[in-house]
Amino acid sequence: MTPTEQAERTLRRTVPLIVVAVVLVAAVYVRALVFTPYEMVQGPAQKIFYIHVPSAWVAFLAFGIVGVTSVVYLFLKDPRLDLFAASTAEVGMVFTTAVLVTGPIWGKPIWGTWWTWDARLTLTLFLWFVILGYLILRTAVHEPGQRARYSAVLGILGALLVPFIHISVYLFRTMHPMPVVLRPGRPTLPGEMLATLLFGFAVFTFLFAALLRYRYALARLADARAHAEAERADA
Amino acid sequence: MPENGGFMVAAYVAAAVIYLSYTVYLLRKGLRKD
Repeated sequence: MTPTEQAERTLRRTVPLIVVAVVLVAAVYVRALVFTPYEMVQGPAQKIFYIHVPSAWVAFLAFGIVGVTSVVYLFLKDPRLDLFAASTAEVGMVFTTAVLVTGPIWGKPIWGTWWTWDARLTLTLFLWFVILGYLILRTAVHEPGQRARYSAVLGILGALLVPFIHISVYLFRTMHPMPVVLRPGRPTLPGEMLATLLFGFAVFTFLFAALLRYRYALARLADARAHAEAERADA
Repeated sequence: MPENGGFMVAAYVAAAVIYLSYTVYLLRKGLRKD
């Protein structure tokens, strides 16, 4: 089987996974909106948490993967690692955008403002711009080896922000709520809310995996077609 | 309890639009034959 056929087969096989992921996200919506109790102090706006926090978890997971893959690329120089890191960055960018959109919609009724230059918010916005720069860089540099090297360095720098974003609520005076699950000690949520949140974590991670598999297969397909084209031109 | 259900709905709709738009964009890109 040629690399083109392999990539096309992966694309076809991933579509059902994406459909399942979308259905599961709908299930998270129903569970969060209909079957999870309201929090008495914040009211309905607190339920934004069930999509905001899993989106943030996936965004940080994505940039962690970009960082690790980029480090390994610099050692092995395998172009598949570069394609995988770039695919992960693009999908991670979507989740980060969801974080940056849903956060202010929660902030307005709870804090009284859409945005504040708080450490965690500012660092997350900064991460979004670093990844935007990463994706723009990839379209601007045409020599594959050079593009992969520059991207890997920027990907590692972006990934270094992730632990700072997570612990920023401990390092700085901040309005952002403290972690309720990924924290020292036990989670601080009541059982039903915690179950919804954990369901959200699992489903958004699955959605990310399905989208990433598809995005990576697209990148491999484009790469395989470019190679086939180059070989035909040489012949 | 505060009445801020509109913000909740807005956030859920915004997230759905973001995720579905990207999913459709990827699937359309995969269907292209060029």
